[in-house]
Amino acid sequence: MNHPNQATLALQAGGDLGPLARWRLERHLARCGRCRDEVASFQAVRELLPEVATLPEIRWNRLAAEMKANIRLGLAAGDCVRAEPAPLRDTPLFAGARAAVALASVLVLMVTGLVLQHPAPKPEAAAIEGVELQTTAHGIQVREGGGTLRLLDGGAQDFGMQINGRLRYVPAVTYTPGAQGSMGAGYMDPETGYMTVTNVYAE
Amino acid sequence: MSEVIEPGLDVLERQNRFVSEHLRGIFVRIYRIVGNAADAQDLTQETFIKALQHEEQLKDEFKAAQWLSRIATNTAIDFLRRRSRATFCELDEAPESLSESPEQMLLRSEQREYLEDGLRLLSPRERAALMLRDVEGMPAEEVARQMNCSKATVRSHIANARAKFRGYVLKRKR
Repeated sequence: MNHPNQATLALQAGGDLGPLARWRLERHLARCGRCRDEVASFQAVRELLPEVATLPEIRWNRLAAEMKANIRLGLAAGDCVRAEPAPLRDTPLFAGARAAVALASVLVLMVTGLVLQHPAPKPEAAAIEGVELQTTAHGIQVREGGGTLRLLDGGAQDFGMQINGRLRYVPAVTYTPGAQGSMGAGYMDPETGYMTVTNVYAE
Repeated sequence: MSEVIEPGLDVLERQNRFVSEHLRGIFVRIYRIVGNAADAQDLTQETFIKALQHEEQLKDEFKAAQWLSRIATNTAIDFLRRRSRATFCELDEAPESLSESPEQMLLRSEQREYLEDGLRLLSPRERAALMLRDVEGMPAEEVARQMNCSKATVRSHIANARAKFRGYVLKRKR
């Protein structure tokens, strides 16, 4: 004879089986004393439970008053916490700013990537084609076609200067070539010590 | 001025009435699940604080009671889960008894402890399902609603719980 499992018998003890399962089990129980005893045993144990669930004798009024006071206190504390302003990171404005920064970062990354992929063309020779920048002992001259423009300091002369107790030779004009085809010339007046700087750009 | 204060008083009064109506029932429910008066007191308070923080849920009295009951059940289950085994207060820490003699208290305490040992073998959900069904007599459908699970799951919890508890009782009798 096939006996039902323990779960089925346990459910039958509390009337928790569905109609079909109960009908089938009852047919089995009608001819199986062992399973009937099992169900009876489950029912007996079930009757012990209210004992463990009985409340101990307590001074309910006092306990209830204490609980009510604590509940009121807990609610007041909750109200205090809720009344605090929301942290900056939780405000919609900050959330929006955060999103904007994130978006801007992504855009910068994309633009950087595109620039690196297609580097800017080097300055073309055509831009300064036909233009000649020259330095002379007294200044800068620009030549284009047949014309010449000279930026000269006629009075500029090399001179000596005491630097850290020693006499140093200082050139009258210092030249600084620029990366984009420009030329800079600095003139120092030995009497006044004033420095004049001239930058010429070829286009 | 009174117009501003009155709604606050009204809410306060409604909350107090709600607490008074359901306090004992919720305390008993939680006590049955956790098996300890001191923990039941804390959890009852926690349940009401959770419920009353959502005032809008309390408008319909019937739904509010069901909702409160679900919070209580789940709060108690969560508590049992947090603590792998429920704690039991010592006899001298137990709530004051009014009429029992020390001998009666001791016997009762021993019997309770014996049964509680058996219930400790159950998982928090098995214990909650067993208490709701076999002690409170709640239909399985309602137990399922209380525990936010299906009726089949509840039946499985109940069957497991009864089998484990019976196994414990039979073993102790031998």
